[in-house]
Parts: sequence; C-alpha cells; structure tokens
Amino acid sequence: MTIDMSQFYQVFFEEASEHLGAMESLLLELDVDAPDLETLNAIFRAAHSIKGGAGTFGFSDMANVTHVLETLLDRLRKEEMRPTVEMIDTFLEAGDVLKAQLAAHQEGGEFDDPRIAQVCGTLDALAGTEAGLSVATADPNVRGATDEMAWLIEFHPESLQLQPGSDPQTLKDALTEVGRLEVLSEDASAPCVWRLTTRLDREAVLETFAFVCDLEDVSVRADALDSEDDGFGFFEGAPGSEHVVDETPSDQDDAGFGFFADAPGSEVLSDQEGDGFGLFGGNPGMGEVVAVADSERVEQQRGYGFFATSPGAPEPKGEAVSTHQAGASDRPVSDATSHKGAAAPAKRAATGDSSIRVSVEKVDQLINLVGELVITHAMLAESASLLDPVLNDRIFSGLSNLERNSRDLQQAVMSIRMMPISFVFNRFPRVVRDTAATLGKQVSLKLIGEDTELDRGLIERLADPLNHLVRNSIDHGIELPERRREAGKPERGEIILRASHRGGSVVVEVTDDGGGLNRDKLLAKAEAQGIPMPDNPSDKEVWQLIFHPGFSTAEKVTDISGRGVGMDVVRRNIEEMNGRVDIDSYPGQGTHLTIRLPLTLAILDGLSVRMGEEIFILPMTAIQESIQPRQEQFKSISGRGRVVHVNGEYLSLIVLRDVFHLSAAGVQQDDGILVIVDTAEGRAALQVDELVAQHQVVIKSLETNYRKVEGVSGATIMGDGRVALILDVDALVRLNRKAA
Amino acid sequence: MNEERNNGALPRSEDSQEYLTFTLGDEEYGIDILKVQEIRGYDAVTKIANSPTFIKGVINMRGVIVPIIDMRLKFNLGQVEYDAFTVVIILNIAGRVLGIVVDGVSDVIALSREQVRPAPEFGAVLDTDYIDGLATLDERMIIMVDIERLMTSSEMGLVEQSQLTA
Repeated sequence: MTIDMSQFYQVFFEEASEHLGAMESLLLELDVDAPDLETLNAIFRAAHSIKGGAGTFGFSDMANVTHVLETLLDRLRKEEMRPTVEMIDTFLEAGDVLKAQLAAHQEGGEFDDPRIAQVCGTLDALAGTEAGLSVATADPNVRGATDEMAWLIEFHPESLQLQPGSDPQTLKDALTEVGRLEVLSEDASAPCVWRLTTRLDREAVLETFAFVCDLEDVSVRADALDSEDDGFGFFEGAPGSEHVVDETPSDQDDAGFGFFADAPGSEVLSDQEGDGFGLFGGNPGMGEVVAVADSERVEQQRGYGFFATSPGAPEPKGEAVSTHQAGASDRPVSDATSHKGAAAPAKRAATGDSSIRVSVEKVDQLINLVGELVITHAMLAESASLLDPVLNDRIFSGLSNLERNSRDLQQAVMSIRMMPISFVFNRFPRVVRDTAATLGKQVSLKLIGEDTELDRGLIERLADPLNHLVRNSIDHGIELPERRREAGKPERGEIILRASHRGGSVVVEVTDDGGGLNRDKLLAKAEAQGIPMPDNPSDKEVWQLIFHPGFSTAEKVTDISGRGVGMDVVRRNIEEMNGRVDIDSYPGQGTHLTIRLPLTLAILDGLSVRMGEEIFILPMTAIQESIQPRQEQFKSISGRGRVVHVNGEYLSLIVLRDVFHLSAAGVQQDDGILVIVDTAEGRAALQVDELVAQHQVVIKSLETNYRKVEGVSGATIMGDGRVALILDVDALVRLNRKAA
Repeated sequence: MNEERNNGALPRSEDSQEYLTFTLGDEEYGIDILKVQEIRGYDAVTKIANSPTFIKGVINMRGVIVPIIDMRLKFNLGQVEYDAFTVVIILNIAGRVLGIVVDGVSDVIALSREQVRPAPEFGAVLDTDYIDGLATLDERMIIMVDIERLMTSSEMGLVEQSQLTA
C-alpha cells in the first residue's frame, strides 16, 4: 500500500518545491510597512498546500513546521498582527528548513536538525500570546479523537483518471491508511458514496483524490449523521439555534456546507481555504447569519464567509474566534478571498490538464531530428536547383512549402526549450537581501524584462555566473551607507538586472550605482602581478583585467568575494555558451556588465566563408564588418606578426590558411577579404578567400566522436551534406599568436 | 571503459566468433565484427586543421559527424588513392563512431579461440600491443587486431586521454 502512495511522492516533491519557491518570492515581495492582504493570503495558501500534501504522504516533520508557520501567517492575514521584518526573516528561514526536509525526503531520509526546533520556537513566539494554543495544535498527530471527522465522499467512478495499474481499490487502500473507510454504495453506474472517518481535514482528503481525478467531480462533505453530535451541539442552548438546525440540512445538498467543530482553535478551523464552509459563532441571531450564509452559498457554491459575533456576545476563546473578529471588520475582504479561494483550485486543475512534464532528453531528441530535417531540406533544395524551374514547377512549389513548414516546425520545437529568464532572476531578491544584510549595506534590486525567453540549457548555466556578478556588485560595487551619503547618493544602493532580446541574441545586464572600477588600482595590481599591459591602455582593456585568473583588488577576502577565482570563471562559463561579457564603468557612478548570449545552444547564425576548398562558419555575433583590403594596408611588425591598418587602427592579421596549415595553393594575399571580428582580446582581422552566404546552422559537437580541435568550436552540416567547421575566433587569436 | 577493454583482451568463450577481415598492403587483418557498424565507400571529407595526416577529416553520416582515419597513411602502406573502390569501415568503439580507410574488405570469418595463436614479436606494421594473435585460414595468415585498444590509444590521438581515464 505504501507503494501505491509512493508513486505520487514525486508529484508531491515537485509541487511542494514549487510552492516553496512561490512562498519565498511572495515573502520577498511583501512590503512590511503596507502588507498586501492578497500576498499574505497567497503565502498562506502555499504553506497550506505544502502542509496538506506533507500530511497526506506522512511527512509529519514537514507538516509540523508548516503548521506552525501557518498559524502565524493566519494571524497576519487576518490582520491581528502586523508583519515585521523579523517575521519575514523567520518565514524565509522556515522555508529553508522545509526545503532541506523536502530534499531529505526525496533521498529517502529525514532531515534532523536543531534548526527545525529553533525556527518553530521563533515562529511560536512571534505568533504571540496563545502559546498554549500553538502547542496544542502544533502536532497534527496528537490531535484528539474529537477531531475525527466523518466525510461523505461522492464521486463517479468514470470520472477517475486512474493510472495504469491502479484502480478504485488503490484509492480505497490509500484512504484506509488515514482513517476508517466505509463503502455506502458502490454501483458501477451510479456515483460511489464512501464514508471516511479520519483526522484529516477536508483539504487533505481532496488532495488524495486530486491525483486521480478532477476535483470538480468529487464531493467531500461532512457526514451529517456524525457531525450532528459533534458540530451542531455547538449551537445548543443558543437562542435561535433551532433555526440553524432547521436550515442546515438543506444546505447539505449544496457543495458548500457549513461545518461546526466544537473545539475552538482546532485544526479544521484553520483550513478554511478548503472550498466552502462557513464559521458560525454561537450567538443570538444565528438564524440571520445562516440566512446570509445560505444566500452566499447559492451565489458562489464553493465560497465561504466569516461571520461576526454580534456585539455583546460572550467573547469566545481561541483562534477560531479571532477569525470571526477579523472577518467582522473586514467583510469585503473576506468576500474577495472567498472568490479567490474558489478560483485557485479550479485554476490548478486547469493547468494540470493543459501542461505535461516531459524529460529534457525527449525535447532534445526532437530538436536534433528537426535539425536533420532542416539539413535534409537544404540538400533537397540543392539537388533541385539543377532542375529546370519551368518544367519542374511542382517540385519547386513543394520545396518552398517544405521550407516554410520545416522552419515553422523548427521554431515551434525550439520554443519548447525556451523559458523566461525569471527562472534565474527570481532567486536574486533573496541573494541581494542576504548578501546586503551580511555586508551591512542597503541594496534594492530592480528586475527588468523577466519575461525574456531563452534556451533552457542557457538558463541553467547562466545562474551561477549571474549570481557571482550580483554578489560582486554588492560587495565591491555598492558602497556602505555612510560612504554613499558622503558621495551625495541615496543610502540605498540599487542593482538593476535587465534582460532583453537584441537581434539574434539575449542581452543580460547587471548595473549597479556603486563606486565603479578604479582604474589606477587595477593597473597597479596588474603590474604587481606581472600581467602585461600595453602602454596607455584603453579603459576597456583595463576593465578586462578583472577577468584575469587570480585577480582581485579586494583588500580583504570575504566569503562573498575577493579570492579572485570568480570573475575568470564567470567569463569562461559565458564564453562556453558562445556568449561574451563586456564591462563599462564610471568612477563614482557605477558599473555596467553586459552579458550577450545566443538565443540557443543548438542553432547559430553564421556566415560561411571559403578558404581554399574548405568552407568554415563564422558566428555572426563575432563579425563586425568585412572589407576588401588594399595591398598597402598590410604591414608587418618584426617579431609580432602582421597587422592590417583599418580605419586608423592596427589590427592583428589572422590568415586562416596559415593558422590551419591549409594547402597554400594559389591566392594572393590582397585577393582575399578581411573579416573584422571582435574577440576577447580586441578586434582582429581574419583573412578568408570569399564570403559565401549567411545561414542558420545546427551546431554539432566534434567531441562526440572525435576530440576538441583548437580554433574550432564545433561543426555543422551544410546543405550539400558536407561538414563545415565553426570557427572560434578567440581561440584563433591565441593560435595565431602561437604560430607567429 | 577500462573494464570493457580488458574483457576484450581476455580469452573469450569457446564458441567461435566472427571477424571481419580486411587488407592493408600485403597483410590481412581481422577485427571483431561486433565492433563494425557498417561499410561504405569513401566520400569527400572535411579536413580538420592541425591534425595528423592520417586523420583525413570528418564526414557527415546521417547527421552524425564521424572522423575518418586512413590506416594506409597511418602505417605507411601501399598506394594511397581514393576512388570508387576505396572502402571505409565504420566502427563503433567505446561509444564513439569512427571510420577507417583500408585497401579492401575481404571476408567475414568464424574462428574459435584455439585457432588464434599468440603473436610473437614480429615486424608487422602494428605494434604487438594491439595484436590479439594470429590465425591461419586457407594458408593465409590473418592478424587479429584489438581494434578498440588501437583506436583509443594515445598513438592515434583520436580520444583525449583524460576522457579515457575518467
């Protein structure tokens, strides 16, 4: 039976980590001074969903932590307390603990750490005076037998979307695990009715069903037979309670059902998110209240409402009661949340239906196949170009259709891999907050263009370099508040992360308004480390120094930066993705880092160039311009190879023929064409015989079956079926220097 | 990977095994047929810069980029000509696909382990390290090559050695 449950574990793990992620970003979004009730509710819902799942799957440690978390959150969203920075910090900490617990469960273990108790303690303390209450409800496992509820579950067996190998029996087994299950009616055609007596709340029962069918198709309500004793007794003796008893049974036909627990503050009461029940305080005039509840229920089937205790009613104790007060003062809000509460599960069901989880390998395979298709089309087109267009009219129109379709297909398939950059950006509010707090700086973060999409592979590999750049900006860029004040800047520094599409590439910029790079300090350091620098270097050359391995101008090494191992790794990582990093810096105004990346790792915009008989591909991102040189532009410098004089600048000349030792047949130096390329070490001129055409090429690795070739970043297959090598201009510059 | 190669060198089961034989110059060689993926004609290759001359370059084999090694150049044998009869044996070795150019493919033979004798030190073009043994078939001597060991050796420079030790 445990096996039956464990097949759903993965779903829980994925959902829980999504919820944790959502919770964290919402917490960071939350403005302590003017808390947004919607946000608080959303945080509460996230915590609650985790608790529900954790409880269902028996991860009681996680359920415990979320429960304590939920208790405090509940008080916040009911505006009984105001959120403080301390609370947010504790929430974040609790989130970390939960993540660790989740990770431990995923590996089949249990996370045991003093932090758990500590966080729970802090949360309890923050939740305030009702410590006794918190303790009483802290452990769902010790809840009394009075908490057992009987639930009537009604569903159509046909609506179950059972996984292969499981049947209603599996479901039964799963439910039997959590409580007593009685089958009241089981007819293949008619709805099944089961009665489950359990300590689980309605939400948790529903969660069990959520895995096998649409929640709309299942109705779970408290069983009147049992709850009458437990619940209705609550009203006994209260004037007007007769009305209640009269009216309630009719309510039971609606999906929304008011249920009544006799223990104030008991677990079930804090589960109002579970689609639909009203809380009723025992007081005079109850009948009216129920009438209101009734009409409300008719309007919004699954909604719920809070009802005020009327003035003069004895002040009941506990959490449940405070709920009423919050509801009283805030009726419109509770209405709004009830709508939202109803909408959320529906939405979840909808997204569950319209998206599937597919392994990345499958998508990659698809991309490969589409790449083949594009190549095959190019080959066909090339063969067809020999035919007479007039006589073979239909072949040509077929080919142009094929071209359009395969291009569309390629784009559609590539878009599967595209993800918004917010997947990376979302972690930065936390990074900035934590780093700034450690360093005693005040930093705010602005994210722009989070919707910018780029390849999933790039997203993953972008995270680390970006993380480093942001931390570096906070550590080295942004000054301490006093320094900023002296400089006449606002005390709070700002870091802007911006992503955008520019041409065929994605540009990610990290901008800070800090002190900027110090040219003199960098130059002095370069000299001390014996890094060769040209006389009178340009700013750009100086800034590039920070990417030098082992280069750090930090006076002291912190755990954040200063070891000088970071920036060269950043640059290497980005170059591995066929991207590049540029720096602009203005003393006193800040530093601006620009990362330019190709849209995808799989396809490259390239220019094919001919050199002798061989065709090479030059990435478009590297090309600045191409010129037809005159003989007098070539100059040679003894010992330093040849240079070309272009637009007043002397560029080192890379002759592909020499670098690659191609057969030297033929062409005169000045017959060639110079392609000016932008490399890591400045501009250079690449001499080729001819520019052929511009293509989108599918990148293939040479290393799959061979080895890395210096000066070449990969290979591709051209329209005629031949292989062409893709040039790596940065490596060519190095090779050229070696050859000279 | 090492383990796999050791297995290749160990005496195999008593059952006979099939070998593909090919000629290089005057000598006849045999390789384990299970390592052979296909046999095809020689096609135009794309040269790879700064590689040894015996590495002719790479070809596109149905979307897979496959390096081509000319064994005749590697072992200084015979007349190196490329025409309609030049044969490339596509091998699948250590998870990689590569092609070798040989003078001609002769036969597929079945040999039992006893028919393969250990090779003495002798002047074959191949280092004895890569030779499993010798077999005789109809008066012809066939040199049995451990093709996997040969192709992954540092001598061939096909595989970055760091990848092998991993």
